[in-house]
Amino acid sequence: MASQADFRDRQFLAVIGDEDSVTGLLLAGIGHVTAPPDNQKNFLVVDAKTDNASIEAAFERFTTERKDIGIVLINQHIADRIRNRVDTYTQAFPTILEIPSKDHPYDPEKDSVLRRVRRLFGE
Amino acid sequence: MPNTNPNPHPAPPPNSTSNPNPHPTSSSSSPPTKPATTDTNRETSTIDALLTGYLSLLDEYTALRHTLHALQARMYHDLARANFAAERGVRRYGRDYYDGRMQAGRRVRVCDGGGGLAGGDVDVKGAEGDREEEGVGGGGEREGEDGKKGEEGDDPREREGVVFRVAVYPPPGRGAGGKGEDEGPGTEAPTTEAADGNGNGDREEKKPGKEGPAGGGEGEKQSVNPIDPLRWFGILTPLPLRQAQGHAIKAVEEIIPQLATLSAAMAAVELEVRRARKKRAKAEKAEEKKLVALEEKMGEVDVNE
Repeated sequence: MASQADFRDRQFLAVIGDEDSVTGLLLAGIGHVTAPPDNQKNFLVVDAKTDNASIEAAFERFTTERKDIGIVLINQHIADRIRNRVDTYTQAFPTILEIPSKDHPYDPEKDSVLRRVRRLFGE
Repeated sequence: MPNTNPNPHPAPPPNSTSNPNPHPTSSSSSPPTKPATTDTNRETSTIDALLTGYLSLLDEYTALRHTLHALQARMYHDLARANFAAERGVRRYGRDYYDGRMQAGRRVRVCDGGGGLAGGDVDVKGAEGDREEEGVGGGGEREGEDGKKGEEGDDPREREGVVFRVAVYPPPGRGAGGKGEDEGPGTEAPTTEAADGNGNGDREEKKPGKEGPAGGGEGEKQSVNPIDPLRWFGILTPLPLRQAQGHAIKAVEEIIPQLATLSAAMAAVELEVRRARKKRAKAEKAEEKKLVALEEKMGEVDVNE
């Protein structure tokens, strides 16, 4: 069980997604840019030009470096691009949730939580 | 609403191979084997109970996933409608309009298993009360859910693991009290004032700061009160964009924290199941050893006779 200190300051949601997903979620008011010296955003808009290294770096930043992120939302088709990284992620905080995008419907077979379920039942 | 059916998929039957002595009380000729068998049975029933709970969590997770998909589909649809009907000059409602100094107006709160808040109990009370006030536009359904969330300790998930919540930040009750109903579901209080006003953006941005306890003179480190993201896109935003915001707020405030909580709870149960399985395997091994020893003893007795 994680200690209280682990999740005391985790107050933001982070998003890695396509433009529509990020726009929608930012409309809900989860977007945050830190104070000027850092100017760190808690979201990454992924388009056709974004390479996997950038996605992985953002994932790393949200999950490992930043201690103020409680939940990371990532489009499933983007998670597929760094699938190994997502599947080997085992920390309790932040929690990773894969969400569908406009152009890529949600596939339960790829969902990391449901993969865990299958593993538990020995499939 | 998530399906609360406690056990939609019956738990798998206890593994018959794990129990080599299914009738331990029939003859009671082998007292040494009795405790081991009981251990194995106990572990098996523990695992069954855990798996039953796990499956109900899984069912809830799946139901919430469906709800999230439906909400997101509506959000994308509304965004597409807004883009289709965009005014001249607006290329697309997207990242070109994001505010470079945006502050999160909805934040996560992580509570521990006992229901206590990691960040401070005052905030929990504030959030609950505020959300009741705020939820006027959102309909009674949300208020009902919040009420349920408030009763901590009833839900086994809340007792066991961490609980994620997303609430408006800062609690609107402190600033502009109770105006939220004008704007529809989940619009923040400072925003409402902005929309009600005559569109002087600078003045309205400062307004919540004046009302806040710290006043307007806070430095860069202190976070500025967030403004409604809708205002990034102008004063008169199209209705579909507002509807998209409503769906997104519902997803962020209600569904996503529940999914995160369930995911954490499921991970905790997985750990327990694995531990129980290991224990059972050990008990089985010990039992086998004892059986072999007993058989050897019986063999020796037979030879002596």
